[in-house]
Amino acid sequence: MSSSVSSTSNSVRKVQLQINGVSKDFDGVLAVDNVSLDIYQGEIFALLGASGCGKTTLLRLLAGFEVPSAGSILLDGEDLSRRPPYQRPMNMMFQSYALFPHMTVEKNIAFGLKQDKMPKARIADKVAEVLELVQMNGYAHRKPHQLSGGQQQRVALARSLAKSPKLLLLDEPMGALDKKLRTRMQLEIVNILEEVGVTCVMVTHDQEEAMTMADRVGVMNNGVLSQVGTPMEVYEQPNSRMTAEFIGSVNMFEGTLKADAVDCAEIQADALDCNLYIGHGITGTEGMELAVAVRPEKINVSREPPSQQYNMARGVVEDIAYLGSHSIYHIRLRSGMIIMASVGNINRQLASDKDQRITWEDEVYVSWSDTCGVVLYS
Amino acid sequence: MARLTSWRPGRSLVIAVPYVWLLFFFLAPFAIVLKISFAESQLAQPPFTNLVAVVDDVLTFSLNLFNYIDLYEYDLYLRGYLNSVKIAFFSTLFCLLLGYPMAYIIARMPTHSRNICLMLVILPSWTSFLIRIYAWMGILKSNGLLNNFLQYLGVIEQPLEIMHTSVAVYIGIVYAYLPFMILPIYANLVKLDYSLLEAAADLGAQPWKSFVRITLPLSLSGIIAGSMLVFIPAVGEFVIPELLGGPDSLMIGKLLWAEFFNARNWPGASAVAVVMLLLLVLPITLFHRYQARDLELKPDA
Repeated sequence: MSSSVSSTSNSVRKVQLQINGVSKDFDGVLAVDNVSLDIYQGEIFALLGASGCGKTTLLRLLAGFEVPSAGSILLDGEDLSRRPPYQRPMNMMFQSYALFPHMTVEKNIAFGLKQDKMPKARIADKVAEVLELVQMNGYAHRKPHQLSGGQQQRVALARSLAKSPKLLLLDEPMGALDKKLRTRMQLEIVNILEEVGVTCVMVTHDQEEAMTMADRVGVMNNGVLSQVGTPMEVYEQPNSRMTAEFIGSVNMFEGTLKADAVDCAEIQADALDCNLYIGHGITGTEGMELAVAVRPEKINVSREPPSQQYNMARGVVEDIAYLGSHSIYHIRLRSGMIIMASVGNINRQLASDKDQRITWEDEVYVSWSDTCGVVLYS
Repeated sequence: MARLTSWRPGRSLVIAVPYVWLLFFFLAPFAIVLKISFAESQLAQPPFTNLVAVVDDVLTFSLNLFNYIDLYEYDLYLRGYLNSVKIAFFSTLFCLLLGYPMAYIIARMPTHSRNICLMLVILPSWTSFLIRIYAWMGILKSNGLLNNFLQYLGVIEQPLEIMHTSVAVYIGIVYAYLPFMILPIYANLVKLDYSLLEAAADLGAQPWKSFVRITLPLSLSGIIAGSMLVFIPAVGEFVIPELLGGPDSLMIGKLLWAEFFNARNWPGASAVAVVMLLLLVLPITLFHRYQARDLELKPDA
């Protein structure tokens, strides 16, 4: 679905991992439902979804901890879906890091290399190399419990990179870190992965994390991969109500298609007095039910009525959430629908200029341009 | 920090309880036994001499080492000690070989069946120890359950001579002390983070290798605890060799009993007991040192 709009670099990239119609059945419950996905060499791919959506099961299928009920997993054209985990050229960084508590950092990293019967001198070199990569050179003889959470994560990353895997799997990589450290480590891990050039599939429930780190994002829901695309595509062009609502917040207008032309479409929305106007033609028959999603930051709030006759509404400010960089206005329309509008706090707001600001109980107009709405059929 | 170390009466009381217990029920009896071991046997009430006495206005203090010299000179005791340690060692080994797989399997079971199996492990100890050993007599004797059954099946023609041999002692000790091996190992294995084994597999280790490199070292403290719980009481075991054993299963517990009740030589029996305790101090110290190291390893445990 997104191949036509994928970034151009993907077309020259080689497909490294092919997931073909993979399903996983747990006692009659489909945790992963017929998922097909191509991962390109060198890309960072994030599986994003709420807990229980099947993203972790899919990752465990890749690692070999679960055997698929149907479908195949091909790495460089080779089917490994029935191979045990210890025979797969991929390594995983666990959410809990799963560092061996009785071994030093050095021994933890050397563990995988020893399984490959690598000569001792080369193991030492390789351990030093990956420790350098994650900037943990001075910690080779520490035990995991002597390290902070962030340091443990670096060691876990070093251990999973030591065997130069063809594919790196990250399970909720930032799950155990506090927010401040999380933001720093996200970028740092991306830098390390790019330096190594390893293909990476990560699992996360944090959309910000997925969008920061990944080249492409796959949104999962109920075991189904509902949308795949770059973070921008997934955010700006969601293909379903579910994706639109899961990634970021959204104002969803349910309605019916009134008129459909080549370059525009008009939709009658139940919650609005005026029609919705979309600046492009859509594929649909008149009278069909659909939804239009508009992101809060694309909505303009003003005291004066806007010039346009469509994509607007009148309402009362019911709530304001001041978030520092921006504020979220909750505006109640006459129909009872509440519209969320994000307004950037461009000017420094002081208590003294309270009167000029739009505030609680104010009558306001909301409006948005005809390019902002996304038409959703499902 | 000052607050933490400041004296708090309630806290001291709580800590004092086990110390008082140990003082009255371990240290004081041991001091008495130690004292008797330096006395001389006599036909009187009590059957031993005082260490301190006033003889002809002279305060005499006599420390009698005969009992210890006897232990050294009669090789019966030496054989008794060595045999006890040998039987205890191999019983511990058999318990470990049997108990580890059992503990491992129980720890890997779903919670429901796990509790049933743990119950089954503990259940026999609800019956008297003595009665259970008597039951083994019924099983192992020449015309007992085991021999009758094997003869009925036609596996053997002549009954096996198990009763009153060291084989019977081994069977008895392993049977009686197996739960003490299983429970600490189980408690250890059930806490084992399964993702560590997944990580080992992910890094290329085959199942047996991740067992040797991850599971086994991480359950070592359970193995040591279980081994100590079996080894220490097994060395001094009296009932099992007395009831199931024969002349070849000479154990120090039996010698001690004979010295005390048959020969009525309290000082000699006390000396036997003191030396046995000294023999056991070594493994106990090692055990505690290991435990301390283990705690250091996991500060949050």
